[in-house]
Amino acid sequence: MRKLALGVSIAAMLAAGAAQAEDPAATEFRENFLAGDLEWSAVTERAQSEGTVNLYYWGGSDPLNVWMDSVVAPAMLELGVTLNPVRITGTKDAVDLVLAELGSGKMVGEGSVDAIWLNGENFSTLKKQDALFGAFAPLLPNATNIEWDESDPRSLLNLRDFGVLTDGAEVPWSGEQYVCAVNTDRVSADEVPHTFEEMRSYLEANPGKFIYVKPPHYLGNTFVQEAIYAHNPDGTGAEPFQQSLDELGAAELARLITPGLDYLKNLEPLLLGGDSGTPRYPEDPNALDGLFLNGEVNFNCKFGLYAVSTGLSQGTYPEGAQEFVFPEGNMIKNKNYLAIPANAPNPAAALVLADYMTTVEAQISKLEFTGMPAGIDPWLLSEEDAAALAAASPGHTGVDASELDANIAPDTNATLVDVIEATWLEYIERDSTDSIETIVTRAAENLNQ
Amino acid sequence: MARKFSNTALNNQLSGFQKVYLILIVGFILGPFLPLIIQSLAFRWAWPDLLPGTWWMEQREVSRMPLAWDYVLSPYSRILEATINTVVIGSIVTVICLAICLPAARVLARESFRGKSGFEFFLSLPLIVPEAAIGIALLMIFIRMGIAGSYLGIIIAHLIPTIPYMIRMLTAVYQGLGKDFEEQAMILGASRWQVLRLVTLPMLLPGVVAGALFTFLVSTNIFLLTFFLGQGKIITLPTLLFSKISGGTLDASAAGITLIVTLPGVILLIISERFIKEEAFGKGFGN
Repeated sequence: MRKLALGVSIAAMLAAGAAQAEDPAATEFRENFLAGDLEWSAVTERAQSEGTVNLYYWGGSDPLNVWMDSVVAPAMLELGVTLNPVRITGTKDAVDLVLAELGSGKMVGEGSVDAIWLNGENFSTLKKQDALFGAFAPLLPNATNIEWDESDPRSLLNLRDFGVLTDGAEVPWSGEQYVCAVNTDRVSADEVPHTFEEMRSYLEANPGKFIYVKPPHYLGNTFVQEAIYAHNPDGTGAEPFQQSLDELGAAELARLITPGLDYLKNLEPLLLGGDSGTPRYPEDPNALDGLFLNGEVNFNCKFGLYAVSTGLSQGTYPEGAQEFVFPEGNMIKNKNYLAIPANAPNPAAALVLADYMTTVEAQISKLEFTGMPAGIDPWLLSEEDAAALAAASPGHTGVDASELDANIAPDTNATLVDVIEATWLEYIERDSTDSIETIVTRAAENLNQ
Repeated sequence: MARKFSNTALNNQLSGFQKVYLILIVGFILGPFLPLIIQSLAFRWAWPDLLPGTWWMEQREVSRMPLAWDYVLSPYSRILEATINTVVIGSIVTVICLAICLPAARVLARESFRGKSGFEFFLSLPLIVPEAAIGIALLMIFIRMGIAGSYLGIIIAHLIPTIPYMIRMLTAVYQGLGKDFEEQAMILGASRWQVLRLVTLPMLLPGVVAGALFTFLVSTNIFLLTFFLGQGKIITLPTLLFSKISGGTLDASAAGITLIVTLPGVILLIISERFIKEEAFGKGFGN
């Protein structure tokens, strides 16, 4: 949040004094492409003359870095474009950079970021700041691998990113599901909890053996959302949380999230370090992996459909790690995407990269190398391709794919995520004595300012 | 001979307390390297195991991904690019820093002018202002100038925290030097250039080497400014390391990179250790 504020203020300060500059050829290319007036061959031709594409992505995963350098870079070179994979420590850094450059008047053809791997809040920020290239995704040749038909409910993951309409300004790259792993060397099969109540009972018998990543990290936010879905007083789960804050209203939101937040607050003394007063929330997934590997906690919840398989092959998970269904019916599933910023220096090369990333071939090798699930939709592929994609999956330990599929839930609207995050920080971390309704109203007002 | 003698004499004089103290200091300096080296060779090292349960070599053939040192030494880790960038940037920064600081130090050491003490304080300001504040302000300026994310931008940024150190060190050296030798040379008919080349510089050299070494080490360790102004496009050893360990856990490849990051400093220290010990600290600072 602080970084975001920083980026926005940089952008605002720069915008004040900056003259708007434009690259006329790149602007014309953007307009013609988005209007659908360009053949794909014209795009690849321009991409080759641009020569380079700068992809900004979270570089904290060795397998992903290896895949980028050893698979994507040579493939892009064959297409006449040199891939410059820029590894960043946080996606917000790239978003801030785009906003700062836009603020200083650098438009299409002149920035430094061609494509960003992102979703949720980061996309929502770029969209709000009007910092996106435009509705390119459905115009890519490989867009046929992605379900855009609104009448098919399965298209939701492609059309909405944390409830925010994608409007084709980002193309799905990977699918993910929030899955928990258990260390079976420490927890017997009949003890494994599947609901929040069972988790509480388990922790009463084994205090301190569970923790979740601390919000505002998105992995922590997602866990809080699942708890809120499961404790929805109307029993309607994720459904009301698909609306935006304006549609739902602060008072109604407060009513819906109160039982979930109360559950989490009451759970605090039973979490890791909770007996000393303050639970030791890890700041990010790598820190949680460390706690899980060292047996300080017995569970590890994060986005990672194949996290167990990847973790075992990298030595970052304990040998007894297995997936399990938790919480029943409320395992959040979403996608992450590649977006092109409005000031991409090499827009045509960015389009060629986005198109390559949505090929069956790239999705299969990504799955094999990194365990990141496919972002394209298998039911649109030829039987042969769909089978190859299925065969590339590293597979599950302890559950099968159908069990995980049967318990999915959509993520929470991005406008609500901010409010829920602020409420968690106030109500649980800072132990505010205000009622949840007061906190939610205040948070909603702050965000509208 | 004399030096050898004084060394042994020193050793013989160490009391029991001094020996323990020495061992503790060596332990504190070298201690952290031991788990780092073990971790860099581990595949899975979990609490409460004293040594890794699975070693990297056992998994080396099984895994399709390069693990541990295989990853660190492969092009995927970008360690070579980062090392070259770090050394090149550090060297250029050191040379420019010297060119700026030598004349400045001379004036500060020898001349007196109105507001001199205020000016000296002003020169150390970059050490007081937080790096993050400098970084953000520079980033905004550099973006407009079009040198954000370039070597030029990073080198300029690195000069900011290094110049104050260098000026302080060189001023002290100049103060110790005195004008006498230079005046003597001039009386004997040397030109200004000859004085500089044959008298001043050789006498300054130990101090200059100490300052250059320090500047180089500071430059190779700057993370925040490099991170802001390199915009992720230019990676150096500190930014590479940060991106590996920002998660708070140290896996095998992160441990390997950490060990590599310490190398330039260690090598430089070994090369110059003898020279510095004998020359700079022996004669340089005002002796």
